[in-house]
Amino acid sequence: MGLPLPSKVLEHILSFIDSNEDRNSVSLVCKSWFDTERRTRKRVFVGNCYSVSPVTVSRRFPKMRSLTLKGKPHFADYNLVPDGWGGYAWPWIEVLAKKNPLLEEIRLKRMVITDECLEMIAASFKEFKALVLVSCEGFTTDGIAAIAATCRNLEVLELRECIVEDLGGDWLSYFPESLTSLVSLDFSCLDSEVKLSDLERLVSRSPNLKSLKLNRAVTLEGLESLLRRAPQLTDLGTGSFSAEFEPEMFSKLSKAFAECKQLKSLSGLWDVIPEYLPALYSVCPGLTSLNLSYATVRMPDLVGILRRCWKLQKLWVMDLIEDKGLQTVAMRCKDLRELRVFPSEPDLDDVSVALTEEGLVTVSRSCRKLESILYFCVQFTNAALVTISRYRPNIKCFRLCVIEPFAPDHITREPLDEGFRAIVEGCKDLRRLSVSGLLTDKAFEYIGKHAKKVRMLSIAFAGDSDLMLHHLLSGCEGLKKLEIRDCPFGDSALLEHAAKLETMRSLWMSSCFVSFGACKVLSQKLPKLNVEVIDEMYPPESRPENSPVERIYIYRTLAGPRLDMPEFVWTIHKNPEVGVSNLAIK
Amino acid sequence: MAKEGLGIEITELRLGLPGDNNRERSVCGSNKKRAFSETMSSSSLATKDENSVVSSANILANKVEDDSSPAVKSQVVGWPPVCSYRRKKKNEEATKAIGYVKVSMDGVPYLRKIDLGSSHGYTHLATVLEDLFGCLGLGVVLKKGEMCEYVIIYEDKDGDWMLVGDVPWQMFRESCKRLRIVKRSCGTGFGLQRDSSFE
Repeated sequence: MGLPLPSKVLEHILSFIDSNEDRNSVSLVCKSWFDTERRTRKRVFVGNCYSVSPVTVSRRFPKMRSLTLKGKPHFADYNLVPDGWGGYAWPWIEVLAKKNPLLEEIRLKRMVITDECLEMIAASFKEFKALVLVSCEGFTTDGIAAIAATCRNLEVLELRECIVEDLGGDWLSYFPESLTSLVSLDFSCLDSEVKLSDLERLVSRSPNLKSLKLNRAVTLEGLESLLRRAPQLTDLGTGSFSAEFEPEMFSKLSKAFAECKQLKSLSGLWDVIPEYLPALYSVCPGLTSLNLSYATVRMPDLVGILRRCWKLQKLWVMDLIEDKGLQTVAMRCKDLRELRVFPSEPDLDDVSVALTEEGLVTVSRSCRKLESILYFCVQFTNAALVTISRYRPNIKCFRLCVIEPFAPDHITREPLDEGFRAIVEGCKDLRRLSVSGLLTDKAFEYIGKHAKKVRMLSIAFAGDSDLMLHHLLSGCEGLKKLEIRDCPFGDSALLEHAAKLETMRSLWMSSCFVSFGACKVLSQKLPKLNVEVIDEMYPPESRPENSPVERIYIYRTLAGPRLDMPEFVWTIHKNPEVGVSNLAIK
Repeated sequence: MAKEGLGIEITELRLGLPGDNNRERSVCGSNKKRAFSETMSSSSLATKDENSVVSSANILANKVEDDSSPAVKSQVVGWPPVCSYRRKKKNEEATKAIGYVKVSMDGVPYLRKIDLGSSHGYTHLATVLEDLFGCLGLGVVLKKGEMCEYVIIYEDKDGDWMLVGDVPWQMFRESCKRLRIVKRSCGTGFGLQRDSSFE
């Protein structure tokens, strides 16, 4: 038996370990390792803000400098979680302000944060450096102004896809003249116009500025002026890339882009007019990331850009790229790792764009490093899925959305079971999977059998019975997040595999046939889970035990029941007297 | 109806009354959809609330017996799974897109369409309208409205009818949803209010 490792030595060793997964493992070795690890952890990640209390986290990690929190379940992105469900930042900020005043970075995703909260952040953390809000809501531009005005060492301010009450563009003018530390500014989701001259001055006095993402209201002229002041940018999100075509503007713009020799990532390009696209040609060969998913550029105008981006690793685009455009990508973008193709028509109207499964097959065949796919398409075939899996066994993230629910293989009219079988059998490192199209329980048998490393699984309009859930919960060993909507399973598989739920972060089920009674049983059996019944139409107790509920969100937690539930969320703790005794009668 | 192979029903916790077989499902696609609707209506959750997730399954089940009925599809909440931020931006773009607007004229039985997006000013617009409806001195209308038989009005984003020519061209272009050429005698005080005679 050896001597215990002195904690100073262990601390030093741990300073080389950044990954939280590794640190979590370290902390399980023994008490002293747990203690040393927790005292040295600087970056804390909490995947579900309700899984643990702020006080617990604050106490465990006294040296915390960065906190990342996630709130609402993923399906909130698709309006499946009613407003007011929860995910409030306030309780966290309140605790941290008191106990961890040296906090430098806060990153929130799908949370509700108020102006009051933002003001508290600005006032409480003297060394505050970075605020990143992704898909958040609940605040106005006044809150942003408070951050801008008060955080003297601010480096990062990113608002990504947030719903902000926009009271005007004044917030930008609150950055004091003395603030020269900005590294990244993203206000792309705001609507109001900011004062260009203030933005120009801000950019001019920020020598470390590497990432700038403008909102739509910034014009081409504004863009050109800003680029001239910040040729060192590595990440650029343009504003509106549109105006009456003027050769002079075009040449100024081209020149400005040509000076940006370090540009690696390009996005924005709202309203882009094809005539202006060639102004980007000079930066294309250096780009590793291109987001055209808001640019309504059609083929063949896209080709000029695509064929020049031979170093591209990440491409986000709309289905306007069509199979033809994807052929160009396949030929030229040999380094491609991630492809996302979004639908240009977000509603289920007739999609009249020439994008088929062939586009994805072509790219999969030629781009050897392709490992992450998100693809919206009207139809698909088993053959295409099989081909994709054969060429790209290295796929880690595969999200296919066949836009029409229950759509079978459009050639054979069979379900897509065999196609997804090929994907899960062939892609052994698959971590994330979203399935769609016509799928029977068989598909889930294959997924349960082969998708051992899948951590996150999204399912909609699929399966035939409880078997599908049985396969998933008994088979997918690595499963951490499961979200299902509109599938015809009931209680039995869920109750049979209840224990599995404690090994997962969360389970979301909506428009399935899980009954209120089953929810009560689960709650009783597994006290470490919060079983939330979300039903806006009827309080669940007002209906028979065996009637299905609208939505269920189950997650493991150390914090017990949450205290901020709105009235349409029910948990067993809300009504402890409504026990399960009446089940015994049946 | 055949039950699935694994004999799970033996271990199945039954929460309904004994003999209650509401849960049986068949493998066939269209039967599955009917099964949706049976259970949905049995729990009397029929609802027209657009935001209700339950109703989406109901709608699909009840109406989409054949896969290709386009009218129904767009009612499914959150499908296709495009995040709401992206949807919002697409809708903004759709409304911002300056394109064709309908033009009607009193006494003329047909509607025409003009491309506002490719028009560069009020004078040009007047010329286009004149060409469309025959030479009616519309250009004069826009310059000195008082003396002419016709007045050109437009419906803006808020649904109000406004006089063409009052606001800067760009602003007009962005907010104009459709145009009408009306006889002056139809009413003078239409100004900023919606006048029912124009409907």
